[in-house]
Amino acid sequence: MTTTGKRLFKGLFIIALVLLVVGIVIGAIGSSFTGGEPFVPKPEVSLKPEPVLNADAEHMEETHQLPSGFVVTNTLLSCWIASILLILFLWRGARSIRANQAPRGLANVVEAIIEAMFGFVEGVAGHANARKFFPLFATIFLFVLFNAWLGLLPIYPSLGALDEHGEIKRHLLRPAGTDLNMPLALALVSFVFVEFWGIRTVGLGYFGKFFQFSALLKGKLFQGFVDLFVGFLELLSELIRLVSFTFRLFGNMTAGEILLLVIGFLFPFSLGIIFFGLELFVGFVQALVFSGLTLVFVVMAVQAHEGEEKDGAH
Amino acid sequence: MAQLGFHLPSLIAYLVNFTILLVILYLVAYKPILRVLDQRATRIKESLEQAERVQKEAAERQAAFEQQLAEARRANQAQFEEAQKRVAQYEQEQKERASKLVQEEVTRARAEIQRERDLAVEEVRAHFGELAIVAAERVVRRSLDAQAHREVINQVLQEGGAMGRRS
Repeated sequence: MTTTGKRLFKGLFIIALVLLVVGIVIGAIGSSFTGGEPFVPKPEVSLKPEPVLNADAEHMEETHQLPSGFVVTNTLLSCWIASILLILFLWRGARSIRANQAPRGLANVVEAIIEAMFGFVEGVAGHANARKFFPLFATIFLFVLFNAWLGLLPIYPSLGALDEHGEIKRHLLRPAGTDLNMPLALALVSFVFVEFWGIRTVGLGYFGKFFQFSALLKGKLFQGFVDLFVGFLELLSELIRLVSFTFRLFGNMTAGEILLLVIGFLFPFSLGIIFFGLELFVGFVQALVFSGLTLVFVVMAVQAHEGEEKDGAH
Repeated sequence: MAQLGFHLPSLIAYLVNFTILLVILYLVAYKPILRVLDQRATRIKESLEQAERVQKEAAERQAAFEQQLAEARRANQAQFEEAQKRVAQYEQEQKERASKLVQEEVTRARAEIQRERDLAVEEVRAHFGELAIVAAERVVRRSLDAQAHREVINQVLQEGGAMGRRS
């Protein structure tokens, strides 16, 4: 390491140390000793999304429930922003990609992302099915990733409606992944596409794996009841998959949000950066897990049929 | 579920949002980008095939060229041998022809010499006859003594000899 590098490293280390000490002193830990107010107010965690419009917010304050009709919540607003940014990002990149010239700048980034995702889908689903499953996989992955990473921007906890003390009582933006409805919607989409491709490939015989009466009709009672039970478990697993999809993403995103809030409350300025890095990684992993599992379930539904066809051919 | 934030209109809003997003991204991003990637893959594949084809053609041309070269060398060698053979034959013919010409010339010269010689002998003989007649005439005109007879004969002979040398 050069002398300048060493000096820079030392300088950064000293700054980080000072920020840590100052953070501890003026944060929740220091203020508990001094008896003063902590620099960052105590975070209030709410699992429910908050309405953006005042009328809806007043209704929620009174009833502690969201209005029964359509409500623009802070998570939905964040989801729209993420969707628009995602569309703009891919559209701008796709617009300047040409077949007869090397991609540059944003086009290069977009092409690399699309190519990497398509390669992943092709590796899991095979060349024949890759083109069919790719749009769903890519959209789920990018949608979850953009929502997760966008929620890490400092603007998210900074904007909102203020109370009489000048503190934020209602945030304008909140990561969409922390709203139960968003993971549930994605889980439903995933479920529908898995069943759709299963039925489209196998036909009505797809339901055969849930309702297996053949052994029972042949008079094999024990085997028949076992098949019925296995079918019931299959049906249950499809529904449980919905729940696991939903709560895995919801839990991870909400936990990450709470973790950042708590770390910011306990150690302002310094330690948060480490957990921001961790949350970047968690966002990527959750996006990959959600989209990857959807892809695997779709492939399983299609391959089961292809396997049957091969067995039938023999 | 309501305590966790479940809200049916929001769920529907997310479903609609995701569906619209999927359709838009498919139209503005996935479809054009994958088409470009396909075109590029096709171009690369075609370029590789073309390169392979060109390489194959080059190898074939090289082989054909080498074959032509070998054939040309063989043909050249045959022509050279033929030329050598012709040169030798021509040389032989010319030698034979020259030898024949020389032989003919010698024969002709000999015949000429023989003819000249015969002619000379004939001429000498004719002179001798005339001399003999002249001598006889003189002998007859002078007649008489043996001494004069001999002188006439000698004179004739000398004149004949001088005539023979002149001729």
